[in-house]
Amino acid sequence: MSAKRALSEFRAPDETAAEERAWTIVRCAQFDGLRTPARRRSRWRLAIAPALAVLAAAVALSPAGASVRRWIGHELGVEHAAPALFSLPAPGRLLVSGPGGTWIANADGSTRRLGSWPQASWSPRGLYVAVAGGDELAAVDPHGTPRWTLARPAVSDPRWYAPTGFRIAYLSGIDLRVVAGNGTGDHLLAAGVASVAPAWRPGHPYQLAYLTRRGTLVVRDADTGRLDWTAHPRDARALAWSANGRQLLVLARARVAVYDGDGRAIATISTPANAPILDASLSPDGQALALARGGHAADVVLANLDGAKPRLRRVLSGVGLGALAWSPDGRWLLVTWPSADQWVFVRVAGTPRIAAVSRIAEQFAPGRAPPGSPALDGWCCTTQGAAG
Amino acid sequence: MPGTAESLAAARPLPRVLRPRGRSEQSLIRGALAGSEADLETLFRRHWPRAYRAAFLIVHDHAAAEDIAQEAFLAAIRRLDRFDRRRRFAPWLGAIVTNRAIDWARARAARRENHHEPPEPVAPPETPAGRYSEDVLAALAALSPEHRAVVVMRYVLEYTPGEIARALELPRGTVNSRLRRGLDTLEARLQESDRR
Repeated sequence: MSAKRALSEFRAPDETAAEERAWTIVRCAQFDGLRTPARRRSRWRLAIAPALAVLAAAVALSPAGASVRRWIGHELGVEHAAPALFSLPAPGRLLVSGPGGTWIANADGSTRRLGSWPQASWSPRGLYVAVAGGDELAAVDPHGTPRWTLARPAVSDPRWYAPTGFRIAYLSGIDLRVVAGNGTGDHLLAAGVASVAPAWRPGHPYQLAYLTRRGTLVVRDADTGRLDWTAHPRDARALAWSANGRQLLVLARARVAVYDGDGRAIATISTPANAPILDASLSPDGQALALARGGHAADVVLANLDGAKPRLRRVLSGVGLGALAWSPDGRWLLVTWPSADQWVFVRVAGTPRIAAVSRIAEQFAPGRAPPGSPALDGWCCTTQGAAG
Repeated sequence: MPGTAESLAAARPLPRVLRPRGRSEQSLIRGALAGSEADLETLFRRHWPRAYRAAFLIVHDHAAAEDIAQEAFLAAIRRLDRFDRRRRFAPWLGAIVTNRAIDWARARAARRENHHEPPEPVAPPETPAGRYSEDVLAALAALSPEHRAVVVMRYVLEYTPGEIARALELPRGTVNSRLRRGLDTLEARLQESDRR
């Protein structure tokens, strides 16, 4: 064959999947870049609901939008994902829990099972993991060796205080309890709390936010019991402090309310009712909020929280996307896709890039049938603690 | 949404939507600038395969090629309002792709001299079906990135020597001599591999 013909007939690896990956990126950039002038004219600041509504409507109504969602299922996901987690795209370690127990996935792709725990949480520097299940709370090292255990009824949602790790808050049925990082001094902080993980305020020992069963948001000193402030967000189902402890995010079904450290509501990010927020995750630097949305939106968007000019950027579209976790360096976002049994890594800083890994349930629940998709417990570690 | 999700995972690949090819490039660019996703997609799909292929043939690394072609498209889209629509879009995009690919190949060569390994890829490279050829890659590897780029622009992107000269800011004579030398080398290498 002549050189000219060989070159003209040459096909590169993975052409179709690469094209579809690139089209997602370019398509998202169209919203981000080409339409920027129109966005500049509108002087929205913190009320970004209309922009979100426009985005959601654009995706929902456009045939191309629908096709993008479909191809994520076919091209990127099912057929062209890596068959196993060969490595993480960024430094750090992932903590996951599910039917197959609690696992650590290292940056080189190696995994270690810590035990049969349904929930887990990194200590701020990743030296220990708080695990909870049934009537037991424990702290184990990254090899799974228990350091201490504590028997309490219906334990769930353990969370370490950052940056020191000197306290762990957890739920025991409808009680909120606090124990020292070495397993001593366990005490009840509040009774009648909602089934929502409490959130420590980073760098402010030992302020803890939690929700009561009536939906009241409470911030309290966990050692003295002193009440700092309360608020009444609607339908709250998750809490997260920014890494600097200046903002508290309260996630509801179709909105994220942002409070300052003194309990003043300073911003609201809303989505249409038919585009419910499935998960939200703050970037390690606290500057960006990633939202996974279902329903008609079916996407992952980033919202800048720098205050001056909030900006939305869609980074992924796809039906059935699930939970989110930031890489410790803030450059990658891990999006779970339970319905396709895949993880999708999206590079959100620098050159956009997407990498998918399939057969997740099987890797974290070998030999189990049918395996379930594991939940993300954090991607360790930022200077403030585990991301995600 | 279990129902939707199950049907997604189980269904067959989506057939590519056929779009009329009659629209002129100028019209597509106008449409893309006005926010038409369909026009942007048509423009993208018309030019992506060759852009990616060209990048791959220059850098010989599919993940890097994907990055390079993606970056080039993003750069082109962000500068679309400044594009001179009297000219063809393909050589403009091709110039961005090729120059980035040459830069990448040079940087990699420099890294190799420093004995640094490239970062581990997220996923292992896949061997494509179709007309992928290790022989072609091996033959191209005998050329410098600059020579490779000229050959790829001519015989993969199908640009004229004049367009290549403009894109790479080279004298026309240099383009011609690189083409001649590159093609001779390739022919010789491919014949060798045929004999084996």
